[in-house]
Amino acid sequence: MSATVQFADLEPQADPVLDIELKDSLRVLTCGSVDDGKSTLIGRMLWDARELYDDQRETLEKTRTVNGQGEILPDFSSLVDGLAAEREQGITIDIAWRYFDMLGRRYIVIDSPGHEQYTRNMASGASHADIAIMLTDARHGMKRQTRRHAAILHLMGVKNVVLAINKMDLAEWSRERFEHISSEFAALTARFGFENAVAIPVSALSGDNVADRSKIMTWYSGPTLVEHLQSVPARVATSQGPYRMPVQMVLRDGKDFRGLAGTVRFGKIRVGDEIVNALSGKHARVNRIATMDGDLSEAQHGKSVVIGLDTDIDVARGDVLCGAKDKKRSKVTTGISANLVWLSETPYDQRAGYLLRTATDLVPIEHLQVTALLDLETLASQPSDYACKMNDIASAEIDLGRPAAVDVFDDIPETGCFMIVDALTGASVAGGTIREVRNGRSRNGEKDNEHVFVLDRALLSVGLCKDLGDDPENAAEFIRRAHEVGALMKAAGIRVKINL
Amino acid sequence: MSSPLDHLDLLEAESIHIFREAATQFRKPVLLYSIGKDSTVLLHLARKAFWPQTPPFPLLHVDTTWKFRDMISFRDRTVKQFGLELLVHTNQDGLERNINPVDHSPSIYTDTMKTVALKQALDKYGFDGAFGGARRDEEASRAKERVFSFRSSGHRWDPRRQRPEMWHILNGRLGKGETARVFPLSNWTERDVWRYLLREKLEVVPLYMAAERPTIERGGQILMLDDDRMPLRPGEVATKRRVRFRTLGCWPLTAAVESSATTIEEVVEETLNARTSERQGRLIDHDEASAMEKKKQEGYF
Repeated sequence: MSATVQFADLEPQADPVLDIELKDSLRVLTCGSVDDGKSTLIGRMLWDARELYDDQRETLEKTRTVNGQGEILPDFSSLVDGLAAEREQGITIDIAWRYFDMLGRRYIVIDSPGHEQYTRNMASGASHADIAIMLTDARHGMKRQTRRHAAILHLMGVKNVVLAINKMDLAEWSRERFEHISSEFAALTARFGFENAVAIPVSALSGDNVADRSKIMTWYSGPTLVEHLQSVPARVATSQGPYRMPVQMVLRDGKDFRGLAGTVRFGKIRVGDEIVNALSGKHARVNRIATMDGDLSEAQHGKSVVIGLDTDIDVARGDVLCGAKDKKRSKVTTGISANLVWLSETPYDQRAGYLLRTATDLVPIEHLQVTALLDLETLASQPSDYACKMNDIASAEIDLGRPAAVDVFDDIPETGCFMIVDALTGASVAGGTIREVRNGRSRNGEKDNEHVFVLDRALLSVGLCKDLGDDPENAAEFIRRAHEVGALMKAAGIRVKINL
Repeated sequence: MSSPLDHLDLLEAESIHIFREAATQFRKPVLLYSIGKDSTVLLHLARKAFWPQTPPFPLLHVDTTWKFRDMISFRDRTVKQFGLELLVHTNQDGLERNINPVDHSPSIYTDTMKTVALKQALDKYGFDGAFGGARRDEEASRAKERVFSFRSSGHRWDPRRQRPEMWHILNGRLGKGETARVFPLSNWTERDVWRYLLREKLEVVPLYMAAERPTIERGGQILMLDDDRMPLRPGEVATKRRVRFRTLGCWPLTAAVESSATTIEEVVEETLNARTSERQGRLIDHDEASAMEKKKQEGYF
């Protein structure tokens, strides 16, 4: 039997709620391959949210696809097409961002390609996500790819996951099929300890259990996909805890106000609170939280502010302000153990100069040792003492050229993450999370300290840093130049140690 | 007690964060100011980001000499009001060759007077980071754009060379010959821009509000006659219509919509219920398929 569905029939019934203020936003990562119907699902959500403009609607009306019942439907996936280059290849090669509003909430859909060679794109997408929708085809169930995806989501700190078991229309809307796949999924997610993992039977093409409850799968009593998304709390609401503010820059009013500009990344700060600069250990009291719209009495997670202190304790970009009363302060360290995903097409090179970029600091890496590669199929760690290449997920020991203020990722993700930057090309070659903070050098770092060129204060003062005097701002510039030279020497194949 | 941050508060905070990161990481940044509503929001956020200082970079306006007169007076008023430095650049070579939107195709005109002009200005002053008001919701090729978007020498945009961005970390370290475009409004939608303009009570160019204006109809679009440089074609009659603009650019290339919305509130009301996506109003985009992506690879903003 075949039927042509008229566009008018597909119009969602509810009126758009456009004038309602959006109370919050949720970042949703979608992962799965073209075959799983991911583009169709996203297109369907845009459609159901009435986010289509007339010109997009016209484009959509030109497309047709046929579902399992032989019904002719618009091809929702055509809404989500991307660059001409990848349309030609028929694959998605990069993450794309899309936006829609539904029931007082902004949804930011981060569309990440599913093909296994795109681990890096998925990892970078996951780093922004509050929740991930994993897609699978009901006929095929859990795939190798689903396991890989779950592992990456776990490493990137995503706490909420949904398995959308799609194309139920092609699996005879089978309850047994759904229950079989969802029990496999439960076993997989239990292993990673996600806070919230659910499986939902859907048909993206016909819309069953996307925004509208399926009239066919009456055996399913759980939430629809959209109902579930509505129930997940936004990140802001869940980040109660110790205060963290990485300092971006110092702003002055030309008189006596010296403000520390930054975004509150965790917890909150009030006027009168005692803070500590994690790096120097110096304390001061907040006497002003300033913004162009007037002073505030407190600022919470997510807010960008300028903070005034009662005493001048010498704070600069790269410092992290913590609450003095909080037991957990950022750790000051030169040694970190980390998980990282290699993003660059150029593999890790022992001779290259690398820098570690934290929230606002940029610290030279003295030594980076890959210790193990994670096999995403078996989830086993394979010891490895050499390179990592694009899409590898590795454990690594990192020695820094000077101390940095960081947190363990599981405690505070916002200040427990980093990127690795190639000193010469500037490229972001890896992204990582801090597993633990270590005292002293890694064993391999020690071994490396034989036969190295020592770049010290005396050498630099003669020429390169001759113009710098003794005041603190120049001291920072002195250190910066020293490490730039170090990075260049390292890139040129010279093993160098900076000793200032 | 402070009230919880809503959606617009978070967007604002994110944009401020981006402005500060770029201003500290790039040696010589500049804000590309195009006078429209997105630029108005962009500039307002820049002022917030560096307050109590003024933004530590100049504004650059690439003037094709075909902008609406109301735009130019709004620009000059704004710069004066906030005590900002404004640089205006026009492609002199294009002017001498009389490249204009009346006699030349939109693609030739845009390339010469906008794309080439922008590259000239960036090179002339040696800017290494340029803030722009582009948003990811504008059209498909922008949905994949980064917050820091890198251009190799010659200002070419190569999709394969873009850097992954993770968490809130922005990496602005430049390789040899590279410059960057910075998009603080990446995660804003058109609705957010309007809502924010209303919330912050920001003034916009009067052309966004409906008024009686001299217009003609051409190719199914309504065009406003801002001066007498565009000759009428046979059969075309200048008629007063109540129109406003959804987007502002060079007047012979910017279509108006008939409207009775005379306040920002009314415009927002109409816009939030609009059924046509914003770029429909820009004639240059209809010129060829995948137009924007191609323009971008060639260095258009």
